[in-house]
Amino acid sequence: MALTLDQIRADVADVLGEAPADIPDDENLVDYGLDSVRIMTLVERWRRDHGTEVTFVDLAEQPAIEQWVPLLGART
Amino acid sequence: MNARTLDRAPLPAPSGARPTPAPEGLPLTAAQSGMWFAQALDAGSPALNTAECIEIHGDVDPALFADALHRTVGEADALRVRIADTADGPRQSPIAVEPPGHGFPLYAADLRDQGDPEGTARAWMRADAAEPFDLATGPLFAHGLFRVGDHRWLWYQRVHHAVLDGYGYSLVARRVAEVYSALAAGTDPGPSPFGRLAALVEEDAAYRDSPARGRDRAHWLAGFADRPEAPTLAGRTALPSRTSVRSTAHLAPERTDRLRRLAASVRATWTDVLFATQALYLARATRSEEVVLGLPMMGRMGSVALRVPGMVMNVLPLRLTVTADTTFAELTRQVVLGIRAARRHQRYRYEDIRRDLGLLGEGRALVGPLVNVMPFDYGLTFAGARSDAHNIASGPVDDLTVNIYDRADGSGLRVDYDGNPALYRQDELAAHQDRFLDLLARIADRDPHLPLGGLALATDAECARVLTEFNDTAVELPPTTLIGPIEARAARTPGATALVSGPETLSYAELNARANRLARHLTALGVRPGALAAVALPRSTDLVVALLAVLKAGGAYLPLDTAHPAARLTAVLDAARPVCVLTDLAGRAALPAPSARGTTPAVVALDDPALREELAALLPTDPGRALTPQHPAYVLHTSGSTGTPKGVVVPHSAIDNRLRWMQDRYRLAPGDRVLQKTPTGFDVSVWEFFWPLREGATLVVAGPDDHRDPARLARTVREQGVTAVHFVPSMLRLFLAEPGAAACTGLRHVFSSGEALPRDTADAFHRLLPGTALHNLYGPTEAAVDVTHHTCEPGETGPVPIGRPVWNTRLYILDTAGRPCPPGVPGELHLAGAQLATGYLGRPDLTAERFVHDPYGPPGARMYRTGDLARWREDGSVEYLGRTDRQVKVRGQRVELDGIEAVLATHEHVAAACALVREDRPGDPRLVAYVTPASADAAAEAGGPDPAALRAHVAARLPEAMVPTAVVVLDAFPAGPNGKLDHAALPAPGTAATSGGREPRDAREEALTRLFAEALGLPHVGVDDSFFELGGNSLLAARLAARVRDVLGADLPMGTLFQAATPAAVADRMHADGTADEAALGPVLPLRPAGAGTPLFALHPAAGLGWCYTALLTHLAPDQPLYGLQAPGLRPGDAPPEPYASLEEMAAAYAERIRGIRPHGPYRLLGWSAGGVLAHAVAVLLQEAGERVELLAMMDGYPSGQWRERLGTVEADALAALLETAGCAAGETPLTREAVTTRLGAADSAFATLPAATLAAVVDTAVRTTALTRGHRHRVFDGDVLFFTAAAPRAETWLTRDAWRPYVTGNLINRDIDCAHADMTRPGPAAEVARAVTAHLGEKSG
Repeated sequence: MALTLDQIRADVADVLGEAPADIPDDENLVDYGLDSVRIMTLVERWRRDHGTEVTFVDLAEQPAIEQWVPLLGART
Repeated sequence: MNARTLDRAPLPAPSGARPTPAPEGLPLTAAQSGMWFAQALDAGSPALNTAECIEIHGDVDPALFADALHRTVGEADALRVRIADTADGPRQSPIAVEPPGHGFPLYAADLRDQGDPEGTARAWMRADAAEPFDLATGPLFAHGLFRVGDHRWLWYQRVHHAVLDGYGYSLVARRVAEVYSALAAGTDPGPSPFGRLAALVEEDAAYRDSPARGRDRAHWLAGFADRPEAPTLAGRTALPSRTSVRSTAHLAPERTDRLRRLAASVRATWTDVLFATQALYLARATRSEEVVLGLPMMGRMGSVALRVPGMVMNVLPLRLTVTADTTFAELTRQVVLGIRAARRHQRYRYEDIRRDLGLLGEGRALVGPLVNVMPFDYGLTFAGARSDAHNIASGPVDDLTVNIYDRADGSGLRVDYDGNPALYRQDELAAHQDRFLDLLARIADRDPHLPLGGLALATDAECARVLTEFNDTAVELPPTTLIGPIEARAARTPGATALVSGPETLSYAELNARANRLARHLTALGVRPGALAAVALPRSTDLVVALLAVLKAGGAYLPLDTAHPAARLTAVLDAARPVCVLTDLAGRAALPAPSARGTTPAVVALDDPALREELAALLPTDPGRALTPQHPAYVLHTSGSTGTPKGVVVPHSAIDNRLRWMQDRYRLAPGDRVLQKTPTGFDVSVWEFFWPLREGATLVVAGPDDHRDPARLARTVREQGVTAVHFVPSMLRLFLAEPGAAACTGLRHVFSSGEALPRDTADAFHRLLPGTALHNLYGPTEAAVDVTHHTCEPGETGPVPIGRPVWNTRLYILDTAGRPCPPGVPGELHLAGAQLATGYLGRPDLTAERFVHDPYGPPGARMYRTGDLARWREDGSVEYLGRTDRQVKVRGQRVELDGIEAVLATHEHVAAACALVREDRPGDPRLVAYVTPASADAAAEAGGPDPAALRAHVAARLPEAMVPTAVVVLDAFPAGPNGKLDHAALPAPGTAATSGGREPRDAREEALTRLFAEALGLPHVGVDDSFFELGGNSLLAARLAARVRDVLGADLPMGTLFQAATPAAVADRMHADGTADEAALGPVLPLRPAGAGTPLFALHPAAGLGWCYTALLTHLAPDQPLYGLQAPGLRPGDAPPEPYASLEEMAAAYAERIRGIRPHGPYRLLGWSAGGVLAHAVAVLLQEAGERVELLAMMDGYPSGQWRERLGTVEADALAALLETAGCAAGETPLTREAVTTRLGAADSAFATLPAATLAAVVDTAVRTTALTRGHRHRVFDGDVLFFTAAAPRAETWLTRDAWRPYVTGNLINRDIDCAHADMTRPGPAAEVARAVTAHLGEKSG
């Protein structure tokens, strides 16, 4: 099943321990506590659940949801 | 000053092209610089090596593999460099990488024919990882490829940490796998995925100049402004070693999953849980509520560095508070928020935070253990063959680094504990690791919302060991009392000698009869079980009779010392309400008048003839009494922390247990003689009195004051044939030093307790009395004298343990949460079992505070909190570590007084040392040490211990905060009534030998008091103290006169000293003679104020003194006036000057001062080293003011840019340079202000003659001036510069005067002077400089 923007936001919020409403699409997620372990968690989760092929580096390079949407081929 | 002290701040961006060509290669990033510098500190060290081994399960084509390696390295330009020192700082330049077989650093071997292929490969890797790289030549990587099985290969790589970090490894490995797989498949590996090194360097430079950096800096400074302690498991710090010790463990997938589930339940990741657990472990193991973990940061998020295999990582401090009532969920939340905050400011460098906080110069740590989590995806395949990566070396370890690898292949976690071998042994490291993983498992199975207090640091097995196994002391004993066995003994051996007191000897029958008669009298007065009778008698037969009588009547005795202040005696009597006071006629007179609220006890004067008559009529047989073992036997008063004495009530059962254990252990026999020398107020006296009388031995009563006199004690021991005696360790040391002690060979047992027994005292004991046993005992009055014992054996090393518990006694060493500490971990010692006191007399509040519920004992059991810090040894004995409350803080830093004492005691001139913090002036706590000389002979020969040398001795071995501000030499330590060192009686420093009196009026008096003190070997001498009354003699007077001549330039004939023997009088005499010139330390040094020429102003180098320019005088034109400008605040009496905010501001002040002497130009300026930079700045300012500067001469001073990113701290550089200038080999001297000040004061220093206050000001000035020059932005001087280059070869080969060119419009006229930088103002070189200046001025005018 393809990813959606809402799903991305929900998963990000989950690994950060925050509410999805508090995670903006255009902010640097590092400021919200995103670290390499959490990115790896997302990479693995999305690979398993959605068959995406993004790598750690892809996500870490531009750590913001709006940047990830095209990488993840997500529907907005 | 050495030019090293100059600026290393970035140059202002030049507006035009720089005149020098762009240097080769790229500068290092800040991250690389840190590693480069660490390597530069110890060029031959392999500590900066990192190494990894990837195990490949399958078939590998070695040729293709080599090709893949070569290609990958070719793509990674960040890896393919060498780093060389250049005039513009270290730079990295590309190196050619030869193909495999033609120089590519790859060692390949098929090891299948070896007995142990894997072992052989590992040994090779270990050996290779211990090979240092040569940074300047490169390559900075090396590979190995080993076939260790038919389908198993090991790929090894070693890389210098300056070019690659842990994340970088994962990039390299991934690419090699990719390229190899492509080559094996015959496909194209595709373009290089790597980013360029230049991008890293650019990003680094951009950050350095960005506002973000300022914000990051502010964040860290705000969070650490209080410079918190960073506790470590080792409890101390050490320099990094060349190697590290490692303990490796694996966390099974099932346990890892539990960890992840726990993390999810508290909305965190498993790494947060690891951090929280480590913080908990560290806090508990160090008894600290606050810890600082090191948080290694990949540092690549959102950065180009994500694709660069280079060195980027950073370490940041993570400060956490851990209390017993915090929950694990809360602690984890703290970690999450702390890491999140750190992440926002992660680019600011660890080294910079340390520098900003001033920790670098002090050698203080910013963080404790590092917890390094490496989650990088490593599920690599090499042409289909899967692989696992194993770290071999991960770089230098300051203290402890916990490396955690998640290879993301479901195989769980690998946890490496890497320790600095100077701090951790392998087994210690493994124990910490086992315990940490055990704690992690228990946390994973526990509700995270419970308080942490419920968790023990120790594993269940360790708990069982320390609580049960080590306390296996139960022995069934009959329910007896202290007195019962004495009466039984008297009945069995009535004729044996019970007591010897001077010429008097009593048999058991005689002593018993006397005591019985008195007991019957006491019973009549109302003494009975449960009642108290005070005893105020000097050591004598009557004292022994009195104590026995009280016990026989069933009462408990309460010793009173009539020498105590009346108020204290009144307080004790009022609180205890004894039935009577047993004393003598003299004692009766000394008793305080009955207070209004106390009932008046009956007074029984044993030497009253009327009483004697009365007693003679009473029955001499044992009286009857309804005494049980639970009744009190005695009440001893100990001084409370508040100053009010507390009466400890000890029941018969407790002391009976103690004496039965003692007899079982040491077997006193009828022929033995025990010396009674401890005053009755101290619990050691209890066994001295009663143990021999219970066992049929003889009690030898020492004379009333003999316990303070080692010579008389030795004589008594010899003459009375004493076989057992007790000493407090400090008294034992004095006894051993007593010539008569060696003849005391009749001694069988010597007991020591009351203080920590130093190992060297035990060693000295064994040397002197090899046939005598030495027993170290420990226990508080609250637990019936002693609860632990250790018999010292010759040849033992390390601290003397207090040993194992006595019968029916349990020892608990508990952490701050009241949980058992595992062996090796310090905690507070708690005591439980048969020997506990009933409590404090009339103080249920205090009793409840110290005697608490024992959660580890049988129901209803109590335990006593000793306040002593101790730890278990693996063998089940206990090591005493000090008081929990003796830990002191000086200037916010934790100081272990024991450590200072231990270091002082290692000095050859010191016999014993004591350190403490005293606050003689409120708000001004000072660390003071006291020492006694090693021996009278040595003192006579060497002049006694020199306080300055002792301070230097400590400064050379301990951190600055542990160096006492004063060391006071005493002939002997003041002893309290029990022989223990009486801390309160130690004199305040500076008053040790003087009358105190007024403060010095001026710098000269101040200087003279210091010289007097120095000559006399005293810490301080008052201005009105007489040299001869303080122990001066004609030899010392000669020494003093020499020093006065050196320091103050004044002749002090010996005769003068005999007429005017005080500093004040000598100062007056000198004033009258007009000898010493105080101006020598003033802001302007008029080296030659007279003369017709335009004055030459010489600006001081970093140290602030202008004296160095005197050497110019003889070779300048005779009419050339010369003024030295000196830093303010150098005169001993000067108030510390307001520090200049910048070099610009400093230069402005000096320009003003110059104008005060010469209001208008032309001006002539000269400066050596930092003084040259200063002269340049002053010249610019004068020009701006419209004045003409006709000479700007600079002696080997270099502009700020030359120092960019060169060296360590401003402070360390400044101090090192200062030492060099003073002609002192830096060698052993640690680069701290204290140590350097001390070193500069030593006899061989060029600054030795300066007063101490000036020395301190010089050191401060040097550091400050250096910092200012480094932060200075040069402006442009309009004109020529006359430059003098110190032409001797120097370490700083990159220095070039050409760097001045952007800041000088005219010519840079150079004169090489054939000397080193530090020697430029020595007579020869200075003469050359002076001649050149004269010639230059002549040419200009001519």
